[in-house]
Amino acid sequence: MDDLLARSAEELFARHADASQPAVLLEAVEEAGFLDALVPEAAGGIGLGPAEALPILLAAGRFAVRLPLGETMLARAALAAAGVAPPPGLIGLAEPWGTDAARLPPGPCPDWALWPEGEAAMLLPLAEAMPLTEASAPGGAVLRRPGGEGPRLPAAGLLVAGAWQEVAVMAGAMERILEDTLRHARDRQQFGRPVAAFQAVQQQLSVLTEDVFATRMAAQLASVAGSDGVAGLDARRVAAAKLRAGEAACRVAGIAHAVQGAMGITEEVALHRFTGRLQAARLRFGGEAYWAEWLGRQVLADDAPDTLGFVRAHLGPALPETSP
Amino acid sequence: MIGALSLATIPAEDEALRPAIRRFLDEAMPSLPPEQRARSWMGFDAGFSRAMAAAGWLGLTLPKEYGGGGRGPFARYVVVEELLAAGAPVAAHWIADRQSGPLIHRFGTEAQRRFYLPRICRAEAFFCIGMSEPNTGSDLASVTTRAVREEGGWRLNGAKIWTTNAQHAHYMIALVRTSGTPQDRHKGLSQLIIDLHAPGVRIHPIRDLAGDAHFAEVVFEDVRLPDDALIGEEGSGWAQVNAELAFERSGPERVLSSAVLLDEWLRWLRGAVEAEGAATEAETALLGRLVAHLAVLRAMSVSVTGHLAQGESPVVEAALVKDLGTEFEQSIPALLTPLLAQPGRAVPGGLMRTLAYTAAMAPSFSLRGGTREILRGMIARGMGLR
Ligand SMILES: Cc1cc2nc3c(=O)[nH]c(=O)nc-3n(C[C@H](O)[C@H](O)[C@H](O)COP(=O)(O)OP(=O)(O)OC[C@H]3O[C@@H](n4cnc5c(N)ncnc54)[C@H](O)[C@@H]3O)c2cc1C
Repeated sequence: MDDLLARSAEELFARHADASQPAVLLEAVEEAGFLDALVPEAAGGIGLGPAEALPILLAAGRFAVRLPLGETMLARAALAAAGVAPPPGLIGLAEPWGTDAARLPPGPCPDWALWPEGEAAMLLPLAEAMPLTEASAPGGAVLRRPGGEGPRLPAAGLLVAGAWQEVAVMAGAMERILEDTLRHARDRQQFGRPVAAFQAVQQQLSVLTEDVFATRMAAQLASVAGSDGVAGLDARRVAAAKLRAGEAACRVAGIAHAVQGAMGITEEVALHRFTGRLQAARLRFGGEAYWAEWLGRQVLADDAPDTLGFVRAHLGPALPETSP
Repeated sequence: MIGALSLATIPAEDEALRPAIRRFLDEAMPSLPPEQRARSWMGFDAGFSRAMAAAGWLGLTLPKEYGGGGRGPFARYVVVEELLAAGAPVAAHWIADRQSGPLIHRFGTEAQRRFYLPRICRAEAFFCIGMSEPNTGSDLASVTTRAVREEGGWRLNGAKIWTTNAQHAHYMIALVRTSGTPQDRHKGLSQLIIDLHAPGVRIHPIRDLAGDAHFAEVVFEDVRLPDDALIGEEGSGWAQVNAELAFERSGPERVLSSAVLLDEWLRWLRGAVEAEGAATEAETALLGRLVAHLAVLRAMSVSVTGHLAQGESPVVEAALVKDLGTEFEQSIPALLTPLLAQPGRAVPGGLMRTLAYTAAMAPSFSLRGGTREILRGMIARGMGLR
């Protein structure tokens, strides 16, 4: 099942990710049902949990898909849980910017946003929203709050949900970066041999590999659900994963660029699409510093006597049995 | 190329051992100051090992017919995690329980199994690993200690060094040359079980920078060994050693070497929060960061154990976890040091002594069991680069 979904997602993105028309990709994604992957079957969705839907987002990361697919999947799950029928089109999870503006995902502007206002989030159309050009950056455009009202749902859980899908996309993007960098190191010759033959390069590539493996594991841990967040996501696991993946992203991008040399700095070579995506992911839904402090407070306040106890109770590969 | 590690969970029947080993530790573990507990798998206490054996905690992965627990790698994983988190002095039986016992079970003759395994499970036979030599470190295939066939057995000459536990151990499993020359590299190496009380064996303990003597130089001068000192096939030493290293590299001890320090710090921070209202932002953030790393590493280590449990030999994956794990262990004293150097803060002596010990020994974490550079070389090979 996992493999099947992963393969069909990869095939779909391979065919459409580079399409100059996002609408074509979106249509294919809608047809495949991916946007409703996390919506319960009773509400007309596929009813997958985060762990089962993870391959879709890993594949999106692998192909540097420039649409907020993960955000739309989660928004639709949150809306369905609140009894609101999700609208057609892409939905971004807006991050508050000051009091009456918010940052949207990088890439083409989504049709809708879940717009946080205090304890609630409101579903608002973005067609009329004015950009705050001065505040916008490659990490995402900042828009003024559009007028009007929309359906409301609790905002709690949206930050964690957003962080989860960034972790998943990072893990996918890193696997692609690893493959491309290994290939470059084997192909590129200097001093009469492939640069992969130099021990200094090999050691760097091993570190790269380690961080990619750790991030893949972090993404799997973050997908262990059954808690009270959107789609059952668990805040502590996602916090740990976002922080670990963000740290890895920094090293991974540095090593990949170092090994790919000047060629990797060009617009033509794809590397920057993936490392740029990592940078954007680190900036969204709380960075390493934010989640480190948040998680540290959880540890300080917890009953577990030691760090291993905390990890076993809250950050393990399975939810603890709740039955007595 | 090696594939991604997938999430594995500890089976419920193995997880069920945790309360029991905790109870055992509550009752049987001697009360030790934190700087002693920080020594953990370097801390020798034969009495404690015998108490563990009496309670059935040794040889968990060995079959019952040899006195073992008849369990899989996950049972041992749970027990070891608790022992290390508690800082229990496990050095006496550690090597026998972790690798010598499983090695004898896998490669030994029936007679060897019947002789050694029950003794290991009763904590009557402690083992050490004789791989390194004065002129053989990372380049393990260059060993020169040599065993020559003679009437009824072997004659052994040479020396091993850095042998953890040698001065307390009853036996060494040594990698030695049984044919050819050092130029033959991996060919002609075999593993021998050496009775360390045999005539001609001299053991010189070596003091480490913290003042402990947990390792030693072991010199062999015309040591006569019986025929059945050979373990496994003659000439298969290299392959056997590598199988052994997968067990040696992936366990919780490659993640938890600084656990006692981390937990002492956490205990003190919690106390400071109660007394002073809050931990600093820097302290809180570092705690969160270290716990996040620990969580991911543990999930990776559990995943590799899952491969071992399926009878595979995940050598590259184990190297990957060990390299990341030791980097994490080493980062703990390095990152705590600046936070514990705050003018005016009364940091308890036990915590500072634990920091001193852990900071001093941390460089060894990425030497023992194969250096960082050697492990990264294995990963590069695993990724098809060499
Ligand atoms: C606490 C402790 C306990 C130990 N216990 C045991 C034990 O019980 N039994 C046992 O047999 N051994 C034991 N050892 C020894 C351990 O296995 C060796 O220290 C280790 O294999 C490295 O060998 P070396 O110290 O001789 O360093 P060297 O091999 O001399 O290496 C020195 C430096 O050169 C680097 N280097 C070497 N070769 C290469 C290469 N090809 N490419 C790049 N870099 C290279 C190394 O990474 C290292 O940084 C123990 C060591 C310690 C610290």
